[in-house]
Amino acid sequence: MSDVSDVTHDRSVPLPMPRVGPVGEHAPKPIRVVLNWGRRYSLWVFNFGLACCAIEFIAASMGRHDFIRLGVIPFAPGPRQADLMVVSGTVTDKMAPAIRRLYDQMPEPKYVISFGACSNSGGPYWDSYSVTKGVDQLIPVDVYVPGCPPRPEALLHGIIRLQEQIAGERLSGRAIAERLGGAGRLGPADGEGAAAPRYTAHRTGSAAEVTRARVEPPR
Amino acid sequence: MPEPTPDAAQTTTVAVGAGGLATADMVLNIGPQHPATHGVLRLRLTLDGERIVRAEPIIGYMHRGAEKLFEVRDYRQIIVLANRHDWLSAFGNELGVVLAVEEMLGMEVPERAVWLRTMLAELNRVLSHLMFLGSYPLELGAITPVFYAFREREELQAVMEEASGGRMHYMFNRVGGLKEDVPAGWLGRVDDAVQAVRRRLPDLESMLVGNEILTARTRGVGVLDVATVQQYGVSGPIARASGLDVDLRRDAPYLAYAELFGEDGPGRVVTRTAGDCLARLEVLLEQVHVSLDLVEHCLSVLGSMASGPVNQRLPKVLKVPEGETYVATENPLGFNGYYLVSRGDKTPWRLKLRSASFNNVQVLTELLPGTLVSDMVAILGSTFFVVGDVDK
Amino acid sequence: MNDETKRNGPTNKGLLPGILKGLATTAKTATRTTHTHEYPDVAPDLPPRSRGVIALLEENCTSCMLCARECPDWCIYIDSHKETVPATTEGGRDRQRNVLDNFSIDFSLCMYCGICIEVCPFDALFWSPQFEYAETDIRDLLHDKERLGGWMETVPPPPALDERAAEPAEVAAANKPARMPRGRAT
Repeated sequence: MSDVSDVTHDRSVPLPMPRVGPVGEHAPKPIRVVLNWGRRYSLWVFNFGLACCAIEFIAASMGRHDFIRLGVIPFAPGPRQADLMVVSGTVTDKMAPAIRRLYDQMPEPKYVISFGACSNSGGPYWDSYSVTKGVDQLIPVDVYVPGCPPRPEALLHGIIRLQEQIAGERLSGRAIAERLGGAGRLGPADGEGAAAPRYTAHRTGSAAEVTRARVEPPR
Repeated sequence: MPEPTPDAAQTTTVAVGAGGLATADMVLNIGPQHPATHGVLRLRLTLDGERIVRAEPIIGYMHRGAEKLFEVRDYRQIIVLANRHDWLSAFGNELGVVLAVEEMLGMEVPERAVWLRTMLAELNRVLSHLMFLGSYPLELGAITPVFYAFREREELQAVMEEASGGRMHYMFNRVGGLKEDVPAGWLGRVDDAVQAVRRRLPDLESMLVGNEILTARTRGVGVLDVATVQQYGVSGPIARASGLDVDLRRDAPYLAYAELFGEDGPGRVVTRTAGDCLARLEVLLEQVHVSLDLVEHCLSVLGSMASGPVNQRLPKVLKVPEGETYVATENPLGFNGYYLVSRGDKTPWRLKLRSASFNNVQVLTELLPGTLVSDMVAILGSTFFVVGDVDK
Repeated sequence: MNDETKRNGPTNKGLLPGILKGLATTAKTATRTTHTHEYPDVAPDLPPRSRGVIALLEENCTSCMLCARECPDWCIYIDSHKETVPATTEGGRDRQRNVLDNFSIDFSLCMYCGICIEVCPFDALFWSPQFEYAETDIRDLLHDKERLGGWMETVPPPPALDERAAEPAEVAAANKPARMPRGRAT
């Protein structure tokens, strides 16, 4: 394993910026409204269930709360068929590459809901040595749902917030680039840090970083 | 990859099955993100055709360093963190911490608190088992039971929330008792909820008990013998399904379990001898009934008890005297132990957590080899672990 | 083949009674009304103890910092300054008073344990069952004191305790017979 990573370690993998296609990108406003309307009520969701919050996510998908009423469809076979990723639970540094990778597999347009304190900012494990302090360090997040764990209705509320956002969005190559670049969202608005893209690891990072192997135990 | 023969290496075409019919072992990764792993467990399987030759659970994808974090939190703050490692049985996890601290302090807990704790622990056990009874058929391909299981879960979570304020992480235990007393009329609503669950449980059972597909997928699959159970320290329903008759509620009673599992008590330890996936499912299903019995008994005791406090006055700064103790409780998944070492500070010097799932997962290295890939999910699901409980 | 017969054993009666039993349950349930809660249209009925959001009653806060120090997550931020209140009576002393400048709770970090509310000696913090505050920007999850104060109107009264509960300490103290003032007994 180690010799493989030596070869590709510093080689960045140039990939084209994901696009939504010319129809979606240059559609006039009435068409865009229709497209957004269709998009917001057929969110195929991919549950990135990690911890306690995943149970509440499941509860939200069951008969009592039933988010299919809101057009969220929990039957995506995998990230490649999903529009919405719900990261529910503690993101650990060991799990982080997998989350990044599955996010990159999702087709545009894609949305992310960060569900619960752990994925918002590390939550109860804010001082842990092995927990990523928020999934937005890895991928751009559209809606943050607070709670530990949030109740299922809170997820429904988060979904409604996301749908409102989708209704007004304009998908263009530039908007996607801006989202992945995350320019000025959390970092300083001007200065050197602003220009550095935040979420472009899959294009500027090395392949070895994403496909890092299991760390062998010391002998 | 098999070593290519010299001939094959010289040809320019892609070598096709250099060894002819000889098969090569294939390494298959299950997880870390896989619907059947209840979270983020990774299994590295070595396959010979469809048969599993070697299985290695690779854990640590959910490791959050909880034990280290315990050391910088005081005893009230530990409760918050402790209930999060096994998120299906938060109450049981809290209980172990406060029982350990109370033992070190030599503190007597008011009787009313003891019974309330027992009842809440049993309700939590039902919740945890219902999750299994829903998710296990889901892994076997049957989606319907999970809807019934969650309907009952919602019913019980509602009463738990009414008392504690949380649907999953109750944070209701305190050193010396409970946070506060339960609301007026709550015991009646618990009774209603328990009766509702009892009334509708046959719906869920009708999909599990005697279902031909489920039986075919589970009977005789993944047989775990008692010797392996003892070697790996497997506990809880998994061990009892293999015939190991051990249950801390009866064998080392804490709370009010001495009375519940006594001569005339309603408690009984459910065991099976087959040790296969079906036996594990049966044990868990029957334990739901037993736990509901225990809740009913607790309700009747609480209903005829003299009024009294549910907690004790604590000093502003709670310091635990120097010493060490080990307290084990019977969590829904098995033995859950806390080894508390105190140096007299307001934080523990060390709080080691012995979680049931860790051992229950390790036994997969024995359980999976020799079985088929198609049975893998059935076996994996039947060992009933929570990844947070494995990785802490 | 041999495996199959061994597994299914004598339960296999051909008519699949077990599966039919399950289907009967499904058919029975299909005729019943659903138990779905229509959340966005119908507000959920939440118990008063439900831990949704923390509300701040600013008048009660003395900025003693107890909540901020006891918080396991350190997600409460308090700034205050001291003000001198001039004496109200002739010859009285000037008094010092803490004035709260900033009280913020970071709900992206909060783990909803309720320790801050429990330790507050002046009843300035309360649980509200409100949960509808998901945000598109994580910075908006930091609720300042105006926003925290706004939650106050959603705080429900605490539920009555069980009849067998011990009396709260305040009630027990108030119900005690008044002590006879010393020296004035006749």
